[in-house]
Amino acid sequence: MSVKEELLKRLSDGVVNMEEDDVAEAAQEYLEAGYPAFDGIMKGLIDGMNRAGQLYEEEEYFVTDVLLCSDAMYAGLDVLRPCLPDEEDKAKRKGVIGVVEGDTHDIGKNLVKIMMETAGFDMIDLGRDVPLQKFVDTAREEGAELICMSTLMTTTMGGMETVIHLLEENGLRDKVKVMIGGGPISQRYADKIGADGYSQNAVEAVKLAKRLLDIA
Amino acid sequence: MAEIKDFNCTYDNSVGISKEVTAGLSLTFPDAYMHADTMAVLAKALKAHDGADFCGLPFCHTVEAEAMGGSINFGNDKAGPRAKEYIYTSPEELLELPEIDFTKGRVYETLLACQILKKQGEQVVLEVSGPFTILNVLIDARHVFKAVRKKPELMKEVFWKLGKELQRYVKEAEKYGVEMISYADSSGGVNILGPKTAEQVVSDFTYEFLKELEEAAGEGTLILLCPKTTFALLGTGKAELKEIELPGPMRYGEACIYMKGRIHFAGQMCIKNINYRLENGRFKALVLK
Repeated sequence: MSVKEELLKRLSDGVVNMEEDDVAEAAQEYLEAGYPAFDGIMKGLIDGMNRAGQLYEEEEYFVTDVLLCSDAMYAGLDVLRPCLPDEEDKAKRKGVIGVVEGDTHDIGKNLVKIMMETAGFDMIDLGRDVPLQKFVDTAREEGAELICMSTLMTTTMGGMETVIHLLEENGLRDKVKVMIGGGPISQRYADKIGADGYSQNAVEAVKLAKRLLDIA
Repeated sequence: MAEIKDFNCTYDNSVGISKEVTAGLSLTFPDAYMHADTMAVLAKALKAHDGADFCGLPFCHTVEAEAMGGSINFGNDKAGPRAKEYIYTSPEELLELPEIDFTKGRVYETLLACQILKKQGEQVVLEVSGPFTILNVLIDARHVFKAVRKKPELMKEVFWKLGKELQRYVKEAEKYGVEMISYADSSGGVNILGPKTAEQVVSDFTYEFLKELEEAAGEGTLILLCPKTTFALLGTGKAELKEIELPGPMRYGEACIYMKGRIHFAGQMCIKNINYRLENGRFKALVLK
């Protein structure tokens, strides 16, 4: 195994094993050895996060594990990203994500955001308890192609339909795909309110986003 | 390793404050969430709307956190109080959380509202939140999850700090006539923590906490556990179920009222599943080992 391969493996393994400090250190060593940041991100950090996602799908890892893996990934990204050539970041597809107004449960949303970023999307995170108009305004301002909304409460799920109506009123509905998820949400509900898709978990959300945007 | 089953929350039951509940009550929001008299009115309206056997208070899971300094968005007639911004950024800071003053603020008003309802002949359930739910209002959950994994001793201390406050809360509630306390911490369920961490939380905190609570609470107090907590205790071998004959088939809420003074813990169903019926006329009490 070459030095580069060894460092990439250390980055990937560090993410899977949630070793934030070691990932940051390995990323620094990787750069000092003169290797390209892009490979370090894709073949090291993202590879590790994909492995974590796979373990999550197999129910070996749980929400807390994935969150800790992502902390390690972001620690590595903080080191490598500044050394990325400008053009590497430009081709990313943009999405807006948030928990709808009235609800503050954001664990699932955070997980989807992480997995979407891992898959190469540029996610604009509006946080939790997000005013409905803000989803639409941000999508317009940022030229986003996706709006991802979640809620854990039945009392607030109606807000998702409102966002779809607001997109229609603002003439944006055909420019933005709407994905929804969360405890009480189902495919049936997505169909009912006219959302483009529903996903049950973060891994499925990535597959759905790629399908909706025709990404191979 | 423990085999903790998950209880999937269903959504066909009581969902709390909504426009349908608040319409026609001539209350102003969010003011109505903050005063004992209006809280009592709202609780009765919610009970009538749901067709429930008891009044449930409060209407959110932010009261304990607010009493410890949390920042709250008090909501409106469509959605109840909820967390605003986090006030802490590191788990170490949580050790400095202040003690709850039960003589002021919304926590006091909640206790008073329980007393008002009790005097009006209502059955009252005081909904108490566990540590993960309380912490969700105070600090980003990712800091908590991380600390549970990387600094378990620190988090054990934090859990117990909160646990002591909760035990005081229950004792205080008894003074206001509360006989049924629900305890839930769905933010710390096995579906989120995973089996290993969920087991750790039971052994570091939940089991001993409930054991102490059982000893401290009055004989007439019934603690209604969220089924997620029930499954965590059963799955780690810390508790067992004991079947008790009821006078006949009845709804779970009704059965809990019947069980007051007979057992210490219930937990076979979510108390918000209003129409869940024990058709076989048998109640499953939870007994801690």
